[in-house]
Amino acid sequence: MGLGLLASRALRSTRAFSPLNPRNVRTIVSTPELQKPEAAAAVAQPEADLPKRTPVAGARVHLPNPEDAIEVFVDGYPVKIPKGMTVLQACELAGVDIPRFCYHNRLSIAGNCRMCLVEVEKSPKPVASCAMPALPGMKIKTDTPLAKKAREGVMEFLLMNHPLDCPICDQGGECDLQDQSMAFGSDRGRFTEMKRSVVDKNLGPLVKTVMTRCIQCTRCVRFATEVAGVQDLGMLGRGSGEEIGTYVEKLMTSELSGNVIDICPVGALTSKPFAFKARNWELKGTETIDVTDAVGSNIRIDSRGPEVMRILPRLNEDINEEWISDKTRFCYDGLKRQRLNDPMIRGADGRFKAVSWRDALAVVAEAMHQVKPEEIVGVAGKLSDAESMMSLKDFLNRMGSNNVWCEGNGVHTNADLRSSYLLNSSISGLENADVFLLVGTQPRVEAAMVNARIQKAVRATHAKVGYVGPASEFNYDHQHLGTGPETLKEIAEGRHPFCSALKNAKNPAIIVGAGIFERNDKDAVFSVVEAIAKQGNVIRPDWNGFNVLLLNAAQAASLDLGLVPESDNSIESAKVVYLMGADDVNLETLPNDAFVVYQGHHGDRGVYRANVILPAAAFSEKEGTYENTEGCAQQTLPAVPTVGDARDDWKIIRALSEVAGARLPYDTLGAIRSRMRIVAPNLLHMDEREPATFSASLKPECNEKMSTSPFGTAVENFYMTDAITRASKIMAQCSALLSKQ
Amino acid sequence: MSFTLRSVKVPPNSVSLEEARSRTFEFFRSACRSIPTIMEIYNLYDIVNPSQLRSAIASQFRKNAHITNPKVIDMLLFKGMEELNNITEHAKQRHHIIGQYVVGNQGLVQDSGSKDQGSSEFLKNFYSGNYF
Repeated sequence: MGLGLLASRALRSTRAFSPLNPRNVRTIVSTPELQKPEAAAAVAQPEADLPKRTPVAGARVHLPNPEDAIEVFVDGYPVKIPKGMTVLQACELAGVDIPRFCYHNRLSIAGNCRMCLVEVEKSPKPVASCAMPALPGMKIKTDTPLAKKAREGVMEFLLMNHPLDCPICDQGGECDLQDQSMAFGSDRGRFTEMKRSVVDKNLGPLVKTVMTRCIQCTRCVRFATEVAGVQDLGMLGRGSGEEIGTYVEKLMTSELSGNVIDICPVGALTSKPFAFKARNWELKGTETIDVTDAVGSNIRIDSRGPEVMRILPRLNEDINEEWISDKTRFCYDGLKRQRLNDPMIRGADGRFKAVSWRDALAVVAEAMHQVKPEEIVGVAGKLSDAESMMSLKDFLNRMGSNNVWCEGNGVHTNADLRSSYLLNSSISGLENADVFLLVGTQPRVEAAMVNARIQKAVRATHAKVGYVGPASEFNYDHQHLGTGPETLKEIAEGRHPFCSALKNAKNPAIIVGAGIFERNDKDAVFSVVEAIAKQGNVIRPDWNGFNVLLLNAAQAASLDLGLVPESDNSIESAKVVYLMGADDVNLETLPNDAFVVYQGHHGDRGVYRANVILPAAAFSEKEGTYENTEGCAQQTLPAVPTVGDARDDWKIIRALSEVAGARLPYDTLGAIRSRMRIVAPNLLHMDEREPATFSASLKPECNEKMSTSPFGTAVENFYMTDAITRASKIMAQCSALLSKQ
Repeated sequence: MSFTLRSVKVPPNSVSLEEARSRTFEFFRSACRSIPTIMEIYNLYDIVNPSQLRSAIASQFRKNAHITNPKVIDMLLFKGMEELNNITEHAKQRHHIIGQYVVGNQGLVQDSGSKDQGSSEFLKNFYSGNYF
């Protein structure tokens, strides 16, 4: 709710009615009518021609049952709503934005701030609209002197103990309290006593608290319990001694803790890394996509000049709702550290020397021509976009090699059936599941937003969760069934007690972690999981509960584009290795005389072994397509310029191909996308989930045996998984303070 | 700024293309006449000779040879006169003159061009920067 919206409403009604009916002049100041609201309200309002109203923020309502719809009147304007909606929601549908502090549409209703008071005909007192169910024929008045006086009174009470430190408050400019006190507050204060002060709490390295500013709306408490699933925050004390806190000194250990910054309507909870760095009106917002995990959360990068200042979530109901994980939100300081900004060649003394692009590309092309084609190997990194992976594969194919893959996919990965590597239920579809079987995956650290969906399902419908894998932390009730493949076998053969739960479930969901891709017996594991899926009737025409949860942003697109290596031991026999941002690929078996090219944006693990460095752009600096784990292609947009002499990834490969004499036929992003359309047309359907067409039942039978070694953990440290997050100071602090507990 | 403005008189607009054309030649001649002074005050004897400067000035004129709108020509003439005034009043420094009229736009680092011969437009753009 922006000030602009509220203020323009106030202005509009003033302009529209004041010449006709001077009594209705809407002002912010106290007026004589406001002192005696009853008398003013008693005068009957003339029925005017009501202009057509549009719902607030394009809100729409779906009436599944037309008989269940009821009609209410908001300021005389009739609106049809389904049964069970609150007065506040009815007002929103009627196009009236009710001021509120404690109400948040994704959290339970508290009704304690009293800012949303409206007048309802035949009710003796104004009612709190967020907590009051709308009844048929209710006549709601949002603009009467009584309602205005109520809001003014509430504002006065809220500001009684709220410090007037807006000039030094980080929320200044995007503060609900500031906006609403301008729109609804009184123009003068009557307060002469001392304001109360509250001791600040230490919630960890991410959230800064100034508890004196807190207005006790309890949104953060409800968020922590309901969405994050941790019981860390609570309310202490009563009356004016009321405080939000953790009771004992304790850090907030949720991986979603950064979201309390967004939902706090005042400046009590703000971002610690962003403190005193910038004001929101001097930032440029760029709507883009997160790449630190395979979820592809929708984010907005706020930048000032060439610097990324902060990252905020963007609403996307199908993927991240309006939350993002702490890694997504706070990894941005890694974009400023350890950056590669010049092409470099390692000299005879082992030191890197900055050279021109012309020389660097000539050296790489020369090295590639000196070896046999099949000794050239290309590895795409975790953060690669689809365009650059397409050009890397095309380039190596033109050079005569087909040993190109994306790290994290393992060898012999099945890239033929999309259903065998996608989250087929879709992220939002997981809410409908009533039994979950997690195989070798810890969604809390692998994909925090997917975990939030599972948590939501567990909380809403008491869905059962069974987990097979090493001991791990969950923020919802779960059964730890076992640690290794033998438990899977028991379930598949029907000898395990969890089988009955799986069989009786209406919508069972099996989630397999992508960490299994790295196992040698992964085909056997997958065939056992498919047997379980067959037994539990997991794949039906109306419900596909067989899911693979990927780890990295590049994985889904790389498999769609067919980045699968030709031979198993390509690294052992490689002479030239082209690492496109690949830092986690195991190079220990690489021969010592091999020539390694590292193209990437961070001086991370891949650089240690590199002979030539080609600096590339990070996700915040380029336009690139990423496909998330459920198969939805999305696009990043450049928010800031590239660092130093760096270039976009696909441009480097296109230039190198020309220098190496195997010129790729595309010069623009549009041309490279039309090439992608031939290979994987789904990557061009932006913001659309493209479900897999064929199910995994078409797969050939597997005769391998599962090994007995237990499943491992795919992500050791939630906060540091890729080059950007490993370079981030904030992420280092988080992993030092939060991971050990 | 004020002393520059005092000396630059805004002439009335050219009525026709012919008038604008004659004014242009007039201005070119006055620019050429001031070359000896410029050589003197910026001490350019050891790096350039008058004929090179003259061709540098002429190339500035030729850059706009395609313009036929008298109003635009008047505006360009005005800008040129302002520039000439700034130079003759010693409002610039020696390196400005060298940078703009002696070395030229291509800068001090001059590619021999032989390396990039036969390479595509894309590769040439790639070597010069990321945004094209």
